[in-house]
Amino acid sequence: MKKLTRALALCVVLALGACALTGCAPSPGSSGGASAGGASSDASAPSGPISVYAREDGSGTRGAFIELFGIEQKDASGQKVDLTIPSAAITNSTAVMMTSVASDPNAIGYLSLGSLDDTVRALSIDGAEPTAANVKSGVYQIARPFNIVMTEDASPAARDLAAFIMSAEGQAIVEENGYVSVAEGDSYVPSGMEGKVVVAGSSSVTPVMEKLAEAYRAANPGMTVEVQQSDSTTGVNMALEGTCDIGMASRDLKDEEKGAGAQATVIAQDGIAVIVSQESSIDDLSTEQVMEIYTGAITNWDDLI
Amino acid sequence: MNSSALREGTARVLFSAAAAVSVVAVVLICLFLFVNGVPAMAEIGVPEFLLGAIWRPANGLYGIFPMIVGSIYVTVGAVIVGVPAGLLCAIFLSRFAGARMAMLLAPGVELLAGIPSVVYGFFGLIIMVPIIRGLAPGHGPSLLVAALLLGIMILPTVITVARNALDAVPRRYYEGALALGADHERAVFCVVVPAAASGLLAAVVLAVGRAIGETMAVIMVAGNQPVIPGSLLDGVRTLTANIALEMGYAAGLHREALVATGVVLFVLILLITLFLNAARKRGGR
Repeated sequence: MKKLTRALALCVVLALGACALTGCAPSPGSSGGASAGGASSDASAPSGPISVYAREDGSGTRGAFIELFGIEQKDASGQKVDLTIPSAAITNSTAVMMTSVASDPNAIGYLSLGSLDDTVRALSIDGAEPTAANVKSGVYQIARPFNIVMTEDASPAARDLAAFIMSAEGQAIVEENGYVSVAEGDSYVPSGMEGKVVVAGSSSVTPVMEKLAEAYRAANPGMTVEVQQSDSTTGVNMALEGTCDIGMASRDLKDEEKGAGAQATVIAQDGIAVIVSQESSIDDLSTEQVMEIYTGAITNWDDLI
Repeated sequence: MNSSALREGTARVLFSAAAAVSVVAVVLICLFLFVNGVPAMAEIGVPEFLLGAIWRPANGLYGIFPMIVGSIYVTVGAVIVGVPAGLLCAIFLSRFAGARMAMLLAPGVELLAGIPSVVYGFFGLIIMVPIIRGLAPGHGPSLLVAALLLGIMILPTVITVARNALDAVPRRYYEGALALGADHERAVFCVVVPAAASGLLAAVVLAVGRAIGETMAVIMVAGNQPVIPGSLLDGVRTLTANIALEMGYAAGLHREALVATGVVLFVLILLITLFLNAARKRGGR
């Protein structure tokens, strides 16, 4: 009993200490908005070495980013080489990326537009603000498709879910979550089917897929939808093997995947936002400047202007 | 008679099955690692794999030398940070602290051991990385933060094992020293601590094992660049981080190369365990 009280007292002391620590830290997101419109008043021009943050090799976000900014280039033998500067810090998730960039005034990073929040600031690229509207109109060109993947012999239930995603209701959910809708579908008519659909794949597509699955279940109480998060490659492979009914991929399909019978449907477009800390006054970079930063041609913020 | 023999037999089977689980697990893991990893190593070429400086799987370059060096750097750093503090804390707990103090400290150490590594990583990311960045602008996630964080993480291992070793030193050693005229400090540091040396060594070796195997916390604060760090403030990627970062995406030879990375890690840890056993034997003599 005595030991227990002591342990409790220790916990209280630790908790108080933790509160004191967090109290000192500046509260994130206290200034500025999510969009790149106008720097906050306490922002200062970053100077000094650029801290480049990237995602891990193989991540769908990284794949799309290096392709769209021309960081992936062909070498003399015609092989595609990812030229991301080797000294770039690698973060293994969107959350770690945001936290790292938010606390580092000299940082630059990138993430899915749908995951963006106001702890960091998204830059305009070539003058175009990264918003869902701009991605849709094609003004902001740094975007990638979200795909669902099925095979020839997909179950009727899976096809019905796909129909729901492409319907007016499904596409409205896509828009609500910060992504860009791709179809002006008709209204969805509940099929009244019963059964189970397993959806698996990309961690970038998973959040919006969960919202879609929830709405679909509400429309069809007899259906169960299971969403499993892994990555694009695994999702496509599982769909091909029949381990899941629908695969999710945050990139275009590779030729060998198409050859194996995978059929992709684009369900949404997702912008990729280039982000800096709220404390940074940088608003706008050109595609070429981003490319030069990520390939190491520019390593200091002072060299940018 | 018959039923008791049956009971005896059942119990025997049950207990040997339970005992076999861990052995079977080790054997299966070894088998998996070597069957999948060794052919990849052969395909890449052992020298190219172990000593290659460039890791770029998309272009067929699989050099894990930076990661081997990274793992060693981070582990050595963690030992430098954590072992002196841990050993002194263990000596304090075992020989100097009053009953009240020990009752306050011991649960603290136990709590430290119970914190999940992802929470340590988050602490490092939110608190330690910005502090280091404040001291040295332009850097943040780095070898230094990883070593400091791991130093904290190995403290409970070092303290618990070392304290047990110190407590196990026979009381007559200490009393004999006092009888010969040594004071308390002298008796502890010149008699008790040397007598517990093999146990203290075991504490250090276990801590090294813990540090080299840690993954989650390191990924969050180390920067993970597959480059040999030039300074304490450069980022570093460890063997474990290399596997965890890329396993989800890897296919074909890339995947096998990651398993081969696991083989290298496994051999490193095996060597550490062998060293531990050798040290224990020497202590037992």
